[in-house]
Amino acid sequence: MEIRPILSALLRNKTGAILVALQVALSLAILANALHIVSERRHMSARPSGVADEHAVFSVSVRNLFTGGPEQQLATQKREAETIRAVPGVVSVANVNQIPLSQSGWNNSVAVDRKQVDETAPSSFYFSPDSIIKTWGLKLVEGRDFLPSEYMDIDNNSDAVPGQVIITKALAEKMWPGVPATGKNMYFGTGEDAIEVRVVGVVERLQTQNAEVTARGEYSSIVPMRQYGGYPGALYTIRAEAGQRERVIRDVEAALRRASPTPVILESVTLDQHRKDRYRADTALSWTLVTVSILLLLITASGIVGMASLWVTQRRKQIGVRRALGARKADILRYFITENFMITSAGVVGGVLLGVALNQLLVSKLEMARLPLEYLITGGVVFWLLGVIAVYGPAWRAASISPALATRSA
Amino acid sequence: MFSYYFKLGVRSLRRNPALTSLMVLTLAIGVAASVSTLTILHMMSGDPIPQKSERLFVPIFDVAPVDNYKPGDKLRENQVTYQDVMNLLKSGQGVRRTGLYGIAAPIEPPRKDLPAFSANGMAPTRDFFAMFEVPFLHGQPWSAQDDERGADVVVLSREISEKLFGEASPVGQRINVMGLPFTIVGVIDKWVPQPRYYRLVGGEQFGKGEDMFIPLASAIRHETSHNGGMNCSERSDPGFQGRLRSNCTWLQFWFETDSSGDRAALQSYIDSYAAEQRKLGRMKRAAPNHLFNVTEWMQEREVVGKDTKLSAWLAFGFLLLCLVNTIGLLLAKFSVRAAEVGIRRALGASRREIFRQFLIESAVVGLAGGVLGLVLAFGALALLSMQGSEVAVVAHMDLTMLAITFIMSVLAAILAGLLPTWRACQVTPALQLKSQ
Repeated sequence: MEIRPILSALLRNKTGAILVALQVALSLAILANALHIVSERRHMSARPSGVADEHAVFSVSVRNLFTGGPEQQLATQKREAETIRAVPGVVSVANVNQIPLSQSGWNNSVAVDRKQVDETAPSSFYFSPDSIIKTWGLKLVEGRDFLPSEYMDIDNNSDAVPGQVIITKALAEKMWPGVPATGKNMYFGTGEDAIEVRVVGVVERLQTQNAEVTARGEYSSIVPMRQYGGYPGALYTIRAEAGQRERVIRDVEAALRRASPTPVILESVTLDQHRKDRYRADTALSWTLVTVSILLLLITASGIVGMASLWVTQRRKQIGVRRALGARKADILRYFITENFMITSAGVVGGVLLGVALNQLLVSKLEMARLPLEYLITGGVVFWLLGVIAVYGPAWRAASISPALATRSA
Repeated sequence: MFSYYFKLGVRSLRRNPALTSLMVLTLAIGVAASVSTLTILHMMSGDPIPQKSERLFVPIFDVAPVDNYKPGDKLRENQVTYQDVMNLLKSGQGVRRTGLYGIAAPIEPPRKDLPAFSANGMAPTRDFFAMFEVPFLHGQPWSAQDDERGADVVVLSREISEKLFGEASPVGQRINVMGLPFTIVGVIDKWVPQPRYYRLVGGEQFGKGEDMFIPLASAIRHETSHNGGMNCSERSDPGFQGRLRSNCTWLQFWFETDSSGDRAALQSYIDSYAAEQRKLGRMKRAAPNHLFNVTEWMQEREVVGKDTKLSAWLAFGFLLLCLVNTIGLLLAKFSVRAAEVGIRRALGASRREIFRQFLIESAVVGLAGGVLGLVLAFGALALLSMQGSEVAVVAHMDLTMLAITFIMSVLAAILAGLLPTWRACQVTPALQLKSQ
């Protein structure tokens, strides 16, 4: 084996080797952590919202400038829903108080028992006088959807709340682990004033308006009601026929404007757009990290090429002598590649340690997730390959040195 | 000698073009990455009102109805109740006070060719404008009487005013806000503090300024629904009136004191206020009452997100890598010049002189890297600002950052040049001359 002579040659001239190993270690540590964060964010922003075929869903918020009394507002809301329903290409429409992923809406705390001091969990509070299970295509895993008789129109100045609720599987598991939730009673709030409601169904999934990263992101409850008489406007969520969304948005807006006797302010947003906005920062961070990772690899490769070229120049004479004494081209090539492999290996070992340390820092200071070992292993392999590829050029040039020329000059 | 070495340095840039350009590029990329993230960090965490940030205070009370406070519990509220806003406004504490909440109100332009639109704004009290030094283009804030009466008056932003009335002053004219006629009393000049430290709860922390302002009392009188978050720790009576009486927190409050030293007095006032409220049956948790000044409030609200910090850390790790790379490349560049050093040393140059020459040469590389890095940083910031609307407003480089870019780049190059330069100085003239 020729490892020993290479090692002793390396030890005699350590600086360059240390620099290359240091570069590999730093790059590996940063790369592994960066790619881990990217894959985590990708995974996070691809989480299902529970809404089937999101591309077909959008929402229109209507603000009426002249509203009249609460009764008139109720009539307006009913008329608007009918107007939307009549637009060709509208599959289903629901008047709703908030949209998943939209980053604004209502929260409520829920409890298993009204005697509790602290609530069991916070929950996102959806309500609608229409079936959002139908409009959003939510998957019922237990119980049933609301019955037509259960929906209530509630004046903002009254205190009534319907007695039924549909919750998500995540919330059901949190409240009654391992037991079917259907038929159980739960409470909005705690204490004397807490509102008692009965669970009539459980949906597989419905993300909250903020789609938190924790389990909280799927703690949602749906109540069969509409509120009117407060805010002079309403929000409608609409499912369009496949491929028709853009046209349906235009037609719905036009129909609403035509149907309203007084001016209205309309704003339509697709669910895709809400998703994009919700994860905008994560997407931006991912792209930044991917860019940094590519630059990292390029710079490390250029560093290896630079140092290897330097060594080839410095050792021209020695190479010539070796060649003259009978070493083949392949021997020279192997020498440089082995040397580089040893240096890269030292760097990879250092990089694994540094990567774990960096991740530790990120975990403790910035509450990032722990780095799985796979990233470090894959990163190590990438750098070994990168090292071999980067050193190949200079090594080939070294091997091509003609023994006669190399020994004669200087 | 400095200028001579400098000239030599510039010349030697051309000597080994491949190696040199690689070096300059490496340095430039490292500097650009760290400068662009640093710019965003700097713009996000900068003090938006340095002359006053120590004298503006946000009070926060824990208004939960249950008595289960344990020391070390996290702060559960970030806004205040309507009752507390009213009481604190009357308190006479500090030199100025304001309570406010965000609103989104439809405006009907007097010109019939423009459709009605929804304007985002706020309902503060008169003191708001003086407290946050809002510049006025036309007119002035509404009067104290307007605050008391809840008059239908409005202050518009310059943008909205120009959209509706052109360049002319609209003061005294009427426009329909929320379907009701409001008299315009003033127009503010461009005022877009980053972050929007005066209202960090509800809405984006960075972004557009306010479209309009109406008096708090007027917004309450018209039961204007609020645009922002609300936290209710107990069930409240229904409707807007119920909310006003409730323990739901949905407004924000600011005190301005005469000097930062008045903080202790203000703290003892809010403590005694909370004690008094406790006697009336509120604030049962008896949690500590908090006062935050502007910088503390920005920290509490996490204006600089974890992702921003992460990017900055990674960028500096990246710069470190670029530095190591540059050291290697400089080592290569200098080592082929051992003969030159040998001759200079033989002709009488001291080690000190060699050291200076090579260090200046490194600095020249750094300077070139800085110029290129600046160009790249501008490009990176432009790219970043395309990705997020919140980032767009902070992705601007100011003079400080410009200077920092150059200093950082040159320092980095000098730092990277230290080891190669020291190695160059170790050349023994005799050995070099002999081997020629």
